[in-house]
Amino acid sequence: MTESETVVQIRQLEDTDIGGITALDEKIGGEYRPEVWERRITYYLRRDPEALVVAEADGKVVGFMLGEVRSGDFGLEEPTGWIEVMGVDPDLRGKAIGRRLAERMLDHFQSQGASSVRTLVDETMTEITGFFGSLGFEPAPLRSFVKNL
Amino acid sequence: MSVTKTYLPKRFHQAVVKWQETYLPDFDFLLDNWDKYFPQDTRFELCAFREMGMCSEVECGDRKGKPKFQQAAEMEPQQGGHLLGALKAQASTEFGSIQQHQLTLARAQNEEEQFWILRMMAEELRHGYQMFHLLLEDDWSDVTDQSGPDMVEEILSMQTGSHILGAFNVDFDSFIDNVTFCALIDRVGKYQLSMQRISAYKPMAESMPQMLREEAFHLAAGVVPLRRWMEKAARDSVYITTNDIQKAINKWLPRGLEMFGDERGGGTNVRYGLKPMKNAEAQEQYYQEVGKVVRDLNMRFIRARLPELSLSEAESLLEKLLVDGGSSRGISWEELVHVPHREFFRRRGVPAFKMVGWAGEDFDDAEAYLRHLTRHLPDGYRAGRDFRDYAQMLRRVDSGELTGDEAGRTMPSLRRVGGVCPCSRAVRWVAEEPHGNGSGGNREARR
Repeated sequence: MTESETVVQIRQLEDTDIGGITALDEKIGGEYRPEVWERRITYYLRRDPEALVVAEADGKVVGFMLGEVRSGDFGLEEPTGWIEVMGVDPDLRGKAIGRRLAERMLDHFQSQGASSVRTLVDETMTEITGFFGSLGFEPAPLRSFVKNL
Repeated sequence: MSVTKTYLPKRFHQAVVKWQETYLPDFDFLLDNWDKYFPQDTRFELCAFREMGMCSEVECGDRKGKPKFQQAAEMEPQQGGHLLGALKAQASTEFGSIQQHQLTLARAQNEEEQFWILRMMAEELRHGYQMFHLLLEDDWSDVTDQSGPDMVEEILSMQTGSHILGAFNVDFDSFIDNVTFCALIDRVGKYQLSMQRISAYKPMAESMPQMLREEAFHLAAGVVPLRRWMEKAARDSVYITTNDIQKAINKWLPRGLEMFGDERGGGTNVRYGLKPMKNAEAQEQYYQEVGKVVRDLNMRFIRARLPELSLSEAESLLEKLLVDGGSSRGISWEELVHVPHREFFRRRGVPAFKMVGWAGEDFDDAEAYLRHLTRHLPDGYRAGRDFRDYAQMLRRVDSGELTGDEAGRTMPSLRRVGGVCPCSRAVRWVAEEPHGNGSGGNREARR
């Protein structure tokens, strides 16, 4: 099957995806971090597994998105969906995988009563800001502040 | 989707609490330390959840497209009987697994992993409670003479050895069992719950979503410690070796495969709209999924042992080791973990008491086969009653005294010695037992 014919399936993340997500993260960031993903995925799986989505092609994880609905963060009392981590195989970018992951996650957030969804993005990462912009995300007045300790 | 929350009538709720005090004595400790290990997670509550707004039409079988049943009385008696059997079996597994986990919970070497198992046990208790909710809320008198309270009492009275499914009648020997059980046996649970999510009996279908959410964590509570142990084993940790993990897989996978039921069956459940897959189809998917877990564990091992390898180099090395069966770059095939043959050490279903070896080899002598099994099973298990009973039954099958099917129907029988366990009083209704029986809580777990 050629790359253009690759069938990408979007489905709920499972425990068996930890290795695949670790591998994809390594492909994107160049660092092998199994402990990070074991801990992070276990955290999300015990909270709201239906919010977690992966994209799979030819048996391999080619994209993932982690997030959840929370209330009370930063004074936002209403249930709010948070997209917190995502990754798409660099070789398969431009094939709307991120969009499909987000659509599935946002559908779930809505079913959980969230009326808005938020994320934090480094504004120098134009590809990511462009991606969220294309999904209808707009800059919010809530600003991120940081102080080094 | 919205979720409703309900509680059992008081005396049944209290009976479950009483059972919990006996078999899950660290429950309060879990709740007291919830925020330490599960900060911001919704606190555990003993209740039944039902998901509203699910599909209202039968999704498979003869009545596909017709309205789902709201009550057991709307079903044909045979259909209702099938459903009731599944319900009771499900309830039995939930309570049974807690009894098993409690045996070795205190032996965990890692506090976080111990708390994961403890939380999982609490959630299994809730799953059992959920099944009681279904048993007690409906009228099953068309399909059984047993009353709801009697069904509840029967299930709460079960011990390891008297549960309905084989996997829940095998004692745990070490904390490796706690973890491997989550990775392999809870995975069967995921399949069963997923299939029951489309049940033609609507209350059953509505009970599944929350149970499935919780089950996702239970699988991680098995797979993540296994991954960590593989990483440590690759660095020559003295505590848990890949051989230990392999033997635990060998112990549990055959029981997991049998939980799907006889490979020839399952068609009736599909016809009745209770499950979408026959036994063999679901079992095959499960077997493939276990293969994926095992491959993942091996990758974790190789990359920890040889951190200088890239991902693709590690994948190539794994392929080479699996195909050649030898050694390469200091790693031998024997150091990896593998999925046993699907007919290995089976006591139910098509391969019941066939003497099929770990790698699929055939044996024609019971004693030789038993010696083969002793090389592949954990020492603690081999020294136990379950294995002894299996060996005795195998000899009877081998001598022609019994068929494999007949022998399978008698297994397992893990008899308790020393009379009635004092804990069994806990299953009586609290109203009849105003004084606690002293749960004998396992303080060792509170490290």
